[in-house]
This record gives sequence, C-alpha cells and structure tokens, in this order.
Amino acid sequence: MTAMENADRNSFVLLQVGERRFALPSEIVDELAPPVRLHTFPHTSALVAGVIVRRGHIVPVYDVAPTLLGKESPTHRFYLIAQRAFGKSSEASAIPLNGECELATAELQPPGEGRPAYISGTFEIGQESVELLNFELLVTDQSPESANDSHAEAQP
Amino acid sequence: MKIASQDVGKSKRTRRSEPVILFSVAHQTFAISADSVQEIRSTDSMAGAANEIEQPLLAKVRHTIERAHRKYFVVNACTHFNLPITRPTLVLILRQLRVAVLVDKIERMAEINAVHALPRAFIGEERRWYRGLAYVEDHVIPVIEPAGFLTRKEFLALDRVTKAAESQREMEGAVQA
Repeated sequence: MTAMENADRNSFVLLQVGERRFALPSEIVDELAPPVRLHTFPHTSALVAGVIVRRGHIVPVYDVAPTLLGKESPTHRFYLIAQRAFGKSSEASAIPLNGECELATAELQPPGEGRPAYISGTFEIGQESVELLNFELLVTDQSPESANDSHAEAQP
Repeated sequence: MKIASQDVGKSKRTRRSEPVILFSVAHQTFAISADSVQEIRSTDSMAGAANEIEQPLLAKVRHTIERAHRKYFVVNACTHFNLPITRPTLVLILRQLRVAVLVDKIERMAEINAVHALPRAFIGEERRWYRGLAYVEDHVIPVIEPAGFLTRKEFLALDRVTKAAESQREMEGAVQA
C-alpha cells in the first residue's frame, strides 16, 4: 500500500454535533453547506428531518443529534453533505452540524467496549478522543439504548 | 473546508410541464395532478349526499358519497397524513379512483416541470403516499400519488363493510314495511 493510499485510509473529517466532535471517513464527505431552508412534509421515516435543495438536487436531512447526544441539538450552523451507500449506488445525504469541520489524519483504534454499532473506531487528536461514525449504521439506528450509550460516553 | 455557494442549478433539459392543484391540509401544502381530480366541491354542498359509515373500519374513512352511480370513500387527509385535525371545507373527488379527499383549501393551480424521486432515505408510508417531490417557487412540495389514499385491500374491506351495512338496512326496511 502506498503512503498516499495509507493516508487516505486514515483521513477523517471532524464534525461537531452539539458540543461533541465526531468523525466520518473523508472519502464519503462531499462538502459543507450553509444552513439553507429545511423543507418538511408528512412522512413516517424515523431520523429523517426533511430535505434541503443543494446544487439543484433534493437532499434528505438526517437528524442524528438525538441518537448521538440523547437530545435535540441547538440551532445548527452548517449541513455536512456525505454519500450514503445504497448497494452499488449512493445518495447525497445531509446532517446538521453545530460547528465547522476539520480534516484530520490519525491512526484508528477499535471502538471502546460496549459502544453502539455505529461507532466504528476511535482516535486521538491532541488530548481529545474522537469517535469515528459508520454513517450507514448511524442513520438507520433506531434503538433507544444507543442514545443513552452514546450520551453516557460524553459524561466526565 | 470550503463552503460551497448557495446557487441552485437548473436543469437545461426541456421538460413537459404538468398542471397540478396545490392544496393545503393543516397548513401543509401538497400537489396533485390536475388530471387526477374530477371535481372539487365544498363540504357544505356535499353534506346532504354523504352517508356515514356506522362502524368505521378505518379512522380516515367515515363517510361515503354517491356520484354518477359510483360509491366514493371519503378520506380525511389530516388523518391519512397523521396531521393535526382541522375542519376541512373542500372535497377533491378523484377521477380514476373511488376516493374523495377532504382538504382545507385550494391554494392555486401551478405548473411543475419535474417530479423528483423521493430520496431513498424515506422508507415509510410516504413511499406509497407520494409520486415524488416538486420544487415550486422555492418550496419543496410532495406530489400526491392518488392511488396512495387507499390500498386495494382497504378498498375491498370497505366495500365489504358498506355492502353489509346496506343489506342490513334493506332488511330492516323490509321488516318494518
């Protein structure tokens, strides 16, 4: 494996949801978008908050704060647009963020014991331990326990 | 990380536009193809023609109406879409289906150039409710699938219940006579 491929594998986008930072693999992240209007309409899909229009495309928005933080997050500042895989194809999807993103390179470690399935690893950035999210498992997670587990991790 | 600009790209393909009726239910706007609506009537004008279903099978269908020798099932759109209950003032009588839909008001007619597929993130009942989404004057509006108001199974069950009730009434009428 070349140094560049290795760097890509360990390249993450740090994102802020509420007061906590998480990470996503950089290869699935498209862009950071400004807080455009959220369009809502009746539906019965859990975790989907509505849609935004981005570059002429209708992009679904996943409200991940209750899952990650155990509560609603305050007014968000950006949308992170990432690709969610559907078999061989993918669909742009958005998650609301409360701060800017950073690109980081780090060595990934296994997730801590008992962490929810959507936490696929952890790494250190300075003094901070950041958890890597599995985007697919995060946006399809509907177990009530995971909100408590994820929130408990944030307690000092 | 660079923040992309807010411009919304427009498709350069020429598309046939489709006339739709924009209507609202509990402050939520929907679009339905104008072709799929036979008639729009006020609930006041239909009151005398509505038959109450004595033991409703579905919470969203409590009445039937007869139009041109056909029995239509009246669907309350608030209940159908799980919206707060309002006082609907209009009935959309659909063209191809025996469904009449109670709505709050007609906003206006519009032309839409495209019906965008519902994103795959949506996995619930909305996949049956909507044909897709339309972008109308800076608003994303769901485009109704007329066949989504009642499933075939629901039609059959409602037909059975209403026929049984009619037979019962006829028998009672015959006995009293």
